[in-house]
Amino acid sequence: MTVTMEPSLGDVHAVVEEVWSSFLGAEEPILPLPTPMPPGGWSAAITVSGGWDAQVTVQLTDPGAVHVTSTMLMCGEDDCTDEDLRDALGELVNMVGGNIKSLMAGAAVLSLPLVGHGDISPGSHLVEVCRLDLTWRGEPVVVTVHTPPPPAVA
Amino acid sequence: MHALIIDDSRTMRSILRRIVTELGFETTEAGNGQEALDHLESGLTPDICLIDWNMPLMDGYTFVTRVRADERWRNVTLMMVTTESEHGQIVRALAAGAHEYVIKPFTPDAIIEKMELLGLVAQEVPA
Amino acid sequence: MISPTSFAYVADLLRRETAMLCEPGKEYLVEARLLPLARAAGTPDVDSYVARLSTDLAERARAVDALTINETSWFRDLAPYQAFTDAMLPPLLESRKHVKHLEIWSAACSSGQEAYSLTMLLKEHLPPGWTARIHATDVSTTMLERVKAGRYSQVEMNRGMPAQRLVTWFTRVGNEWEVSPELRSMVTTQHLNLAAPFPPMPVFDIVFLRNVLIYFDMDTKRDILRRVSTRISPDGFLLLGSSETTLDLDDAWTREAAGRVWMHRPRTAARPTLATRPPAAPAAATTVAPPAFTALSQTGA
Repeated sequence: MTVTMEPSLGDVHAVVEEVWSSFLGAEEPILPLPTPMPPGGWSAAITVSGGWDAQVTVQLTDPGAVHVTSTMLMCGEDDCTDEDLRDALGELVNMVGGNIKSLMAGAAVLSLPLVGHGDISPGSHLVEVCRLDLTWRGEPVVVTVHTPPPPAVA
Repeated sequence: MHALIIDDSRTMRSILRRIVTELGFETTEAGNGQEALDHLESGLTPDICLIDWNMPLMDGYTFVTRVRADERWRNVTLMMVTTESEHGQIVRALAAGAHEYVIKPFTPDAIIEKMELLGLVAQEVPA
Repeated sequence: MISPTSFAYVADLLRRETAMLCEPGKEYLVEARLLPLARAAGTPDVDSYVARLSTDLAERARAVDALTINETSWFRDLAPYQAFTDAMLPPLLESRKHVKHLEIWSAACSSGQEAYSLTMLLKEHLPPGWTARIHATDVSTTMLERVKAGRYSQVEMNRGMPAQRLVTWFTRVGNEWEVSPELRSMVTTQHLNLAAPFPPMPVFDIVFLRNVLIYFDMDTKRDILRRVSTRISPDGFLLLGSSETTLDLDDAWTREAAGRVWMHRPRTAARPTLATRPPAAPAAATTVAPPAFTALSQTGA
């Protein structure tokens, strides 16, 4: 029996583009161009559990995170507090993660989002199955999906 | 007209508040289903609730079943606004008594058109 | 922002290929539509992308497609669909009861939301034993492919689709929603430029020609309406967009109000009323059950 344990890259890309074009302005599209991600920055993660287990993570630089937050909250970039960033990035990864969950077969449950400054390393038992390197307003945006490793082949 | 916006994200509540305020609604906000239920218990009578699904304390699905089980709130329109987007989840929400369903992400037009479908805002009169 | 030279080139390209007008003031729209294509093509800005269109035919086709799409929603504006079920279907169900078939034209169908919205209403309102076909046409072959595929993004599904109809008629396929085979089988597609002579088509009971005349100049509008009048049954209905009218354009039409919309009808000397309409369909139409272009001349004139 073949069970697909990872969403297709194209579907994940479509999900991310829909979130961006709906809430972050159509005139500055998110581009499929890799830009090097410097260390630090913000990470927002959400886990899917049940019929399919995974962690979905969105990583942004500090300026990228502020762009996202000020656009979604319609506030000045200088006015964004860390609390604003946590809330906005949490909703961002909630939308990305929820839609990725619906790509997979089987009933699964979405956790509440977890947002932090710096890397949120996925559990060491998880492996990366999908990675998108994107650019928005000149800043890198990285979206990854991690899942438990497939059972070892005998 | 009054809208009760129920979402654990302040960002999402502010996005929804901007949209329905433009439509002439007054708004009340709640961060989860329990807080929203408390508003109703204390006498708030919204015309519509915009309801997220995944929230701490009480999720949106439970909120819908609780509201539908109580005669006092039978005239309140319930619209899910959530990232839950499986076919089966939409069927579940409708069966529990939700009237409409918007999947996140959405554009402001999507909310406005659903409110028109529900008869809560008059359609724009063509020029 | 796009330069005046590039904008003039794009406007001229659109006019030549689709007869659509792209007037000064629409620069922001052209820029917004072409910027993603420019980026995807690896050009630094819209101006250098436009420069490339003069030699790259495939890219030119993509640009025309991007410029001619309309943002569209399901059951757009609601009132026309109300008129469809409340004012147009009842008399047609009476007058077509011998053929038990309706032919409907969704002109400038774009990605098909109008055509499939109509199929849902037909499924809900047609009596048992009736069939209907929606003939969806557009100038963009990309759009026609989309109509045939019947797949819509989450964002598109959010636009006006009642949740109950969504769960009844659609299934999830990957990130998209796919319309049921039952509804897809009711829709046929055909490439058609409204500004050019029409290819062979049936005579229609109902024509939806909404929000597209606005793109054409006055003479082209007149010409389109005149040719539409030859493809519509004498007791048929034409629906235009809310800001469009046949008034001052063509005296071959009359209008009747249905709620908040105007239904346009061919001005015929003696449109049979329901009471006086001949009880039997024309002989040729008695064997018409399977719809085919040649067998559908229902005018009986």
